[in-house]
Amino acid sequence: MLRTFGLLAALAVLAFGLISFTLPTQGTPGDELLGVWEPSNGRARVKIDRIGSKYYGRIVWLIEPNDPETGEPKTDKNNPDADLQNVPLKGYRMLKDFVYQEDGTWADGTIYDPLNGSTYSCIITMTDENTLDIRGFIGVQALGRTDVWKRLAMPKK
Amino acid sequence: MHRFTLLAFAAILLSTLLFTGCSAPGEAHAFRQEALEFVLEAPLFEGPNSGQIAWAVELPSALGMAEGKRVTGARLAHATVQPGDSLGFSQVRSLVLSFASDNADIAMQEAGFKNPVDPHAERVELEVASDAELGDHVAAGKAYLVLDVDLAEDAWEEGRRFLLDFTLEITIK
Repeated sequence: MLRTFGLLAALAVLAFGLISFTLPTQGTPGDELLGVWEPSNGRARVKIDRIGSKYYGRIVWLIEPNDPETGEPKTDKNNPDADLQNVPLKGYRMLKDFVYQEDGTWADGTIYDPLNGSTYSCIITMTDENTLDIRGFIGVQALGRTDVWKRLAMPKK
Repeated sequence: MHRFTLLAFAAILLSTLLFTGCSAPGEAHAFRQEALEFVLEAPLFEGPNSGQIAWAVELPSALGMAEGKRVTGARLAHATVQPGDSLGFSQVRSLVLSFASDNADIAMQEAGFKNPVDPHAERVELEVASDAELGDHVAAGKAYLVLDVDLAEDAWEEGRRFLLDFTLEITIK
């Protein structure tokens, strides 16, 4: 009897452990966005963090980190603010100010294209836990383009 | 006809007064903040790592603002970073200082940076973005200060600490 009880207790502990390991922790709503993501062109990786209540994504890896002309690490040379053109591109926050919405999207943010120095309005939709639709647009969402980003690492617990 | 001329003159005078009233530069104040500590906890990885501080300030009392006055603009005038630990700036490639806000209408703004950082420096003066407008962040009385530190190597065991001093040039009308 005692042996059966011990076995059941061990199974219960094991099951609880498995459930705890498998289920995501209950964090701030919207935190499932946290993690490292790769755009469809595979040329960069972007880590999304939360600062206060908003979400930001910074470039943490570049397939080509150095400027082929200078051999030095790339800087944000197309930034419209000339004072900021020597800021390193690696580390640059290309996603800014996203607010988690009740409909499960992250909106009111912007996406920056370092290739031309332009900033666009942007909305993020998580189509599954490892896939994001990143839609950049000017004015209205209909006038935009969607890129699919894939998760590279599990969200920070 | 004489009345029309008088009215036209009065209208021109009134619009001139309104225009000059609206374009008055306002009062410029310097606001200094010292020794804000950013803690970057280990493990840290090669590349950019961030530290953030929730910064709150009671400007009316700090600047002695009269009732009815409000902040109309602010910019970073000067900022320095010094190490808060014995590691100095070793392995630090660059620093970027940004201001962020919980308010959906206030966007994050990069305000200063240093690239590259002299690893032997005792204190680093940031290059400020003179066009970076921080008026909304300052007027809200609360902002997040974010220091991005680009590291040349992983640091698995030991975190890093940095101290920020800065001066804001704040315009009040």
